[in-house]
Amino acid sequence: MNEIGELCILLSLGISIYSAIVPILGVKRGRDEYVASAENSLFVTAGLITISSAILTYAFLNRDFSIEYVANYSNRDLPLFYTVSAFWAGQKGSLLFWSLLLSLFAAVVVIQNKNKNRDFMPYVISIISITQCLFLLLMTFAARPFELIYPPEDGSGLNPMLQNPGMVFHPPTLYMGYVGFTIPYAFAMASLLTGHLGDVWIKTTRRWTIFSWFFLGMGNLFGAWWAYRVLGWGGYWAWDPVENASFMPWLTGTAYLHSVMIQERRDMLKVWNMVLIVLTFSLTIFGTFLTRSGVIQSVHSFGQGPVGYYFLAFLIIVIVFSSYLIVSRLSILKSNNELDSIISRESSFLFNNLILVGAAFATFWGTMFPLISEAIKGEKVTVGPPFFNQVNIPIGLALLLLVGICPLIAWKKASISNFKRNFLIPFIVSIIGGIALMPVGTGHLLAWLSFTISIFVITTIVMEVYKGARARMETTGEWFVKALVTLIRKNKRRYGGYIIHIGVVLMYIGITGTSYNVEKEATLNKGEAMTIGDYKLVYRGLDLKEPVPTKAEVIATMDVEKGGKNIVTALPRKDFYKTSEQPISRVYNISGLKEDLYIILAGFPIPFQKDSPATFKVHVNPLVKWLWIGGLVIGVGTFIAMLPDWKGKR
Amino acid sequence: MNKKQLKFAIGSVMIVAAIGYLVVTGISKTSVYYLTVGELLSKGDSVYGEGVRVEGKVVGGSIKKDPTALKVDFRITDGNKDIAIHYEGIIPDLFENGRDVVVEGKYTREGVFKAHTLLTSCPSKYESAGKDHPTNQFTVGS
Repeated sequence: MNEIGELCILLSLGISIYSAIVPILGVKRGRDEYVASAENSLFVTAGLITISSAILTYAFLNRDFSIEYVANYSNRDLPLFYTVSAFWAGQKGSLLFWSLLLSLFAAVVVIQNKNKNRDFMPYVISIISITQCLFLLLMTFAARPFELIYPPEDGSGLNPMLQNPGMVFHPPTLYMGYVGFTIPYAFAMASLLTGHLGDVWIKTTRRWTIFSWFFLGMGNLFGAWWAYRVLGWGGYWAWDPVENASFMPWLTGTAYLHSVMIQERRDMLKVWNMVLIVLTFSLTIFGTFLTRSGVIQSVHSFGQGPVGYYFLAFLIIVIVFSSYLIVSRLSILKSNNELDSIISRESSFLFNNLILVGAAFATFWGTMFPLISEAIKGEKVTVGPPFFNQVNIPIGLALLLLVGICPLIAWKKASISNFKRNFLIPFIVSIIGGIALMPVGTGHLLAWLSFTISIFVITTIVMEVYKGARARMETTGEWFVKALVTLIRKNKRRYGGYIIHIGVVLMYIGITGTSYNVEKEATLNKGEAMTIGDYKLVYRGLDLKEPVPTKAEVIATMDVEKGGKNIVTALPRKDFYKTSEQPISRVYNISGLKEDLYIILAGFPIPFQKDSPATFKVHVNPLVKWLWIGGLVIGVGTFIAMLPDWKGKR
Repeated sequence: MNKKQLKFAIGSVMIVAAIGYLVVTGISKTSVYYLTVGELLSKGDSVYGEGVRVEGKVVGGSIKKDPTALKVDFRITDGNKDIAIHYEGIIPDLFENGRDVVVEGKYTREGVFKAHTLLTSCPSKYESAGKDHPTNQFTVGS
């Protein structure tokens, strides 16, 4: 079976080289059938990669340990769910998964554009195929998913830390985002190559952009959620290079998502939009290079090897090629309009863009600083979370304020009356809210600012939606809910956007809660208690369980009391796996809308005894849940923004 | 450049300058040296009391854990020289003899590095955890 899998990859490589070259020849010689043939070959590639992926999945399910990748990432005891997800648990499978996504996306693009954008398609096909070649080359030479070994009795198993739903969803969502940005990039380049520089490429790829942006964000969020539930240090984001690597393209992608609206509406910022999509696509490749090459020290020990350098080479090609194209088209990328007033929708979008790109740059600088300082001063100097927080918190607050202002400020030039109409009430409400929040603000100025601005933003959005619905009720006589639903249905993009903004504000609230985190460590004898926040935790002893033959659990029992009442029995534990030397701490997290009570069993004397004292680390993390809720709300908003306009096509 | 565009240029420059200012001050306030054990020792007097980050491998058999599990003494090496580390806090699950670690803290004149942060390289999804290690028996209860 593995030979077929390998053969499919090889064939795909050949076909992808074909579909990279032939459409360009078709344009040169004016032969449409060349392009059609390339389009069909994309379907063949999609089919072959799907077969290849199916074979790998089958090998996992069948416990075929003669395949090195299967032997290294699974074993006989691995539950079905994680056996399937082990597909993307390692580098080789990730590459295959990536290639699979790209081939499927490419097939969808061909179907979508059967009867339109015929001028762009040859170039789009070629660029997607070249990108596909990168992955196929890697899988042929540097990281063969179907490499064989002498089959061991049993596989080494999947790292227990990765046996968590967060880690099942984190890689695929992230990859969907990464791969998805290939499509708008390919269309942008096609538009430069053909010289057809209107906003057709932007409109055509609008849904692809939202789709990729959404999944990239969700990938990050799943990663954060996993870190919070599994790593047990009480937080979800550590500004580690691997995290920054996927945060940077999200920032520039967000900038791009917004600035294209200005081009659609006012025919401006054409060069800027090109730069942003190139930057976003390059950062997805750069992120992959960073995490696979080991050039930057990270606490995650990613595989070091040649794979990273393939991505570096590809990155250099992308940057040189794209920059050359943009520069050569500068004269026809001229804006047909200019900015009228500094107080306008256009300029507020521009500032939002500058800030987002600035945040990406600051994050880039901090991440690369060890390399930069070593190159310049010969000494390795590093910056940690304090740097990123210090820089990105003020930037983030400015951005939050713009979330309130941008969508409502008038185009071209905002008048005083526009300001009064849209912002006076939110301004007053946020002042009142700010005063009411004074008690939580003392000593937490930035947190207070964040809450106050959040109130401002939410009020602007609620007012805007309410006003829209009211206006509909007056003109059509519909009742409120019906008016509201119709309003959203008729302007999915705009109201989807508002909902996404509400989600973003909720995430800000969740992140701001970090300012009020409390943590405490204590070693307790059986029957002793510790207090933290409003909670009293009474330690009731240890227990040893062996739920499966390969795993032992040491479980501590703690009665959690709040206001004198026993609210829950917490069971933080440490798991000991046969396949791994290290124990794994399993956090017991009691999550509420107000705060999380996060309990870690830090240690106990070995050998194990039921009555021995134990050490705990306990965190009270206010408002964390709003971060995850914000993510869900963004999901709803994105869904609405992406719905097709079937009503309009009647 | 007309007057309107000038205003934008000024606005944009102000934003860029503000971000630049944040980055520069951020770096100068928060950056720390990232050294190997040898580099730390060769720095001499200037290094005492200054916050630094040091990487090294935990010397086999050097780990002395406090029974409460919130303190640990051990040594790390760059293969050539080694130093004593005293760390207080939660000990990461992955901390063990022979593992690559990064400590953050201050080196003292007594020759002990007082660490407030202890990071272990965690086997991530891109590397198989069990690959380099022989299968182990349970350490609990033994």
